[in-house]
Amino acid sequence: MKIAGVDIGNSTTEVALAEVSGPGVPPRFLASSRVPTTGIKGTVANVPGVRRALEAAVEQAGLKISAIDLILLNEATPVIGDIAMETITETLITESSMIGHNPNSPGGLGIGVGETTPIGDLEVVAPGRPVIAVVPRAFNFEKAAGAIVAALERGVDVQGAIVQGDDGVLIANRLPKVLPIVDEVQLIEQVPIGMMAAVEVADHGQSIQQLSNPYGIATLFKLTSQETAMIIPIAKALIGLRSAVVVRTPAGDVQTRRIPAGSLRLIGEGQTVSVAMDGGADAIMDGLARAHPLKDVTGEPGTNVGGMVERVRQTMSNVTGKPAGQIAIRDVLAVDCLVPQPVAGGLAHEYSMENAVGLAAMVNTDRLLMEKLAEALHVELGVKCELGGVEANMAILGTLTTPGIDIPLAILDLGAGSTDAAILTKGQPVRSMHLAGAGDMVTMLIQRELDLPGYPDSDVAENIKRWPLAKVESLFHIRHEDNSVKFFKDPLDPRLFGRVALITREGLVPIPTHHTLDRIRTVRREAKRRVFVRNAIRALTAVAPAGNIRALQFVAVVGGSGLDFEVARMLTDILAPYGIVIGTANIRGELGPINAVATGLVLSRAQPIPGANGNG
Amino acid sequence: MPQISEAAVRDAVREILAQLAASEAAPAAAPVAAWVPGGDVTATLRDGAPAKAGTSPTEVVLALAPAFGDKLKQKTITGIPHAAVLREILAGIEEEGCSARVIRVWHTSDVAFVGLAGAKLAGSGVAIGLQSRGTSVIHQRDLQPLQNLELFPQAPVIDLETYRAIGRNAARYAKGASPDPVKQKNDQMARPKYQAIAAVFHIRETSFVDRSKKPVDVEVRFA
Repeated sequence: MKIAGVDIGNSTTEVALAEVSGPGVPPRFLASSRVPTTGIKGTVANVPGVRRALEAAVEQAGLKISAIDLILLNEATPVIGDIAMETITETLITESSMIGHNPNSPGGLGIGVGETTPIGDLEVVAPGRPVIAVVPRAFNFEKAAGAIVAALERGVDVQGAIVQGDDGVLIANRLPKVLPIVDEVQLIEQVPIGMMAAVEVADHGQSIQQLSNPYGIATLFKLTSQETAMIIPIAKALIGLRSAVVVRTPAGDVQTRRIPAGSLRLIGEGQTVSVAMDGGADAIMDGLARAHPLKDVTGEPGTNVGGMVERVRQTMSNVTGKPAGQIAIRDVLAVDCLVPQPVAGGLAHEYSMENAVGLAAMVNTDRLLMEKLAEALHVELGVKCELGGVEANMAILGTLTTPGIDIPLAILDLGAGSTDAAILTKGQPVRSMHLAGAGDMVTMLIQRELDLPGYPDSDVAENIKRWPLAKVESLFHIRHEDNSVKFFKDPLDPRLFGRVALITREGLVPIPTHHTLDRIRTVRREAKRRVFVRNAIRALTAVAPAGNIRALQFVAVVGGSGLDFEVARMLTDILAPYGIVIGTANIRGELGPINAVATGLVLSRAQPIPGANGNG
Repeated sequence: MPQISEAAVRDAVREILAQLAASEAAPAAAPVAAWVPGGDVTATLRDGAPAKAGTSPTEVVLALAPAFGDKLKQKTITGIPHAAVLREILAGIEEEGCSARVIRVWHTSDVAFVGLAGAKLAGSGVAIGLQSRGTSVIHQRDLQPLQNLELFPQAPVIDLETYRAIGRNAARYAKGASPDPVKQKNDQMARPKYQAIAAVFHIRETSFVDRSKKPVDVEVRFA
């Protein structure tokens, strides 16, 4: 008979089609397919996706859907993940006391201190007075330079300039002496006039020294020790910039505030732990460990995190038809990250990197839903449809078709919504673990940290996760991430010129961003490390005998994220010291890490699970 | 934007005819200095020696079509003085720390070929092509003529701010950066409104083409 194993995952639906002659006889595989999942995993909305996957498989085999005798669905370890991110700090500038942005091209060099003076008033300033010229856009670079030159010739001690347009270099090039000029200050009319101000511009490739040093500012403004203590936040906010302005105003200040983001209540079997979101990811994960094993999670009502937790619950409730009160969150993964946020009170649309916490939550669904789905499929396709077996067991069965693998075997399923681990040892039932946070969370971290457009407008973050990078240095050569150079005979597409691009299967695709290759690479690898590697360790520890990860021998990575070009290597780096053989599975010796569950479903009809006496 | 009336087209045609008549009457001497009026910016353009290939990697070339700046009305299709256009593009290049060189291309009036001819002479391999009516392109020497890094095909919607950004982006390409493409306005009515006058502009420009002449360096002086 012809059996189709169907594995519905969070992001893809996979099918293995095989001819099974009877128990004990190895099945003959006819075709495999993989299409995007429709709807939320484990719901009736999956039917169109399953149909498409089956159609793709039967077409490969030259058959019709009606030729299939039996469809086996995985009894999904029904986990659904959701992700959200919460910013927990913000930066606030009061009284326009500083300008700290990185214009593309500030002018001049050095540091200057003087009274802020509108450029139009320079002609009435007494000679010898130190001033900083404030130049609105109405003064073009020639007029502005002319006015400054005239003032200098009269003996006015012009020390620097603050400019609204992108004219810094242009003005600097027209002056007889080198002055620091900060440009692209959009809200120039808000610069306080008649106050002492310091302007500093560093050379190319360097950052300002004096204004990022509290004693440097104290020296310039002749501050007392108490006043110096007050300006530390300003100095800190200016670290690493190429140009800056500090204005001495009566109550000017820069504050980094923690945003009250609410708290999470982690309800465990034994105890309940309440963790404030603004404590960061580590505090949340510590709380999680204390509350283990987790029964449910709630968020503080009326806060963002409360809203997020309730949204997950509501989505699940809509899908399952169960009241929201009965939906329990079984795991959360919190990850710290830095996201660019506009600075409140900034004059130059400054951004600062603020702390944020990304949160993935996971909810258990139930078997009833899968039965409904099997029924719906039966009606839709007219083919007998059964629940084939527990997902973790099926994944292990499928993975055992990898050449060179043996029991005891642990598998790590890095999916889109959840990270799952399962272990099979001789004479023991399969133990499995499902954790929140996987590929989708990595995508979210990349999108937020690089400030990219989000799904569904753009899938650039998803693509950055998937493909290696290269910098197009000319139309005839690119430089890879590892600095190796590849030449081309024919010129590349002009849209690639000078861009950072992704090396995809369809060729080079430019990334619409100004970030450097190194920055994108660092963010991508960090996101994977914080989600995949951390969850892999968490999951393996949970299933390992006596929680000892060293007791594992073989670990095979399966699932869509197993296709990732670097995660397996990152895991090897972490796990190899424990003497564990870890690698990407190669299902049936040809499919790589995908199709494990679908293959396992088919095999389960032909042979029992080796070594296992029961299901876990 | 001004309505393009029949009278305006007639006006332009009359100007060409007068120009033709003038050039027949007095065969053109070597191009000499001419004043370019307009706005608060004025500039003198003086054609010099045949342009040589540049060697400095920071050099961005601004390649002008035959009639730009010192012939005809010295204004773009929307009346922006050529001098002001030149100043903004050159300022954009300078602000990024690159050096600019202005050349004039004689053998073609097609903006793509003008730009490519400039790119081949630019030390950085990046050039801006610029027509009298204001149409512009950022070109690179390894590209095919009808490819480009950025194209600004609708002259009627390009303002001085955009010209500054064009200069800036060209300089950034020269530095090996990956700038965001210059934001362009779009006006559905630009084509019907300006198509006829644009054609006249192009014919005017093309009448100055001299296929036998090599590109020459141009000295620009702002007054």
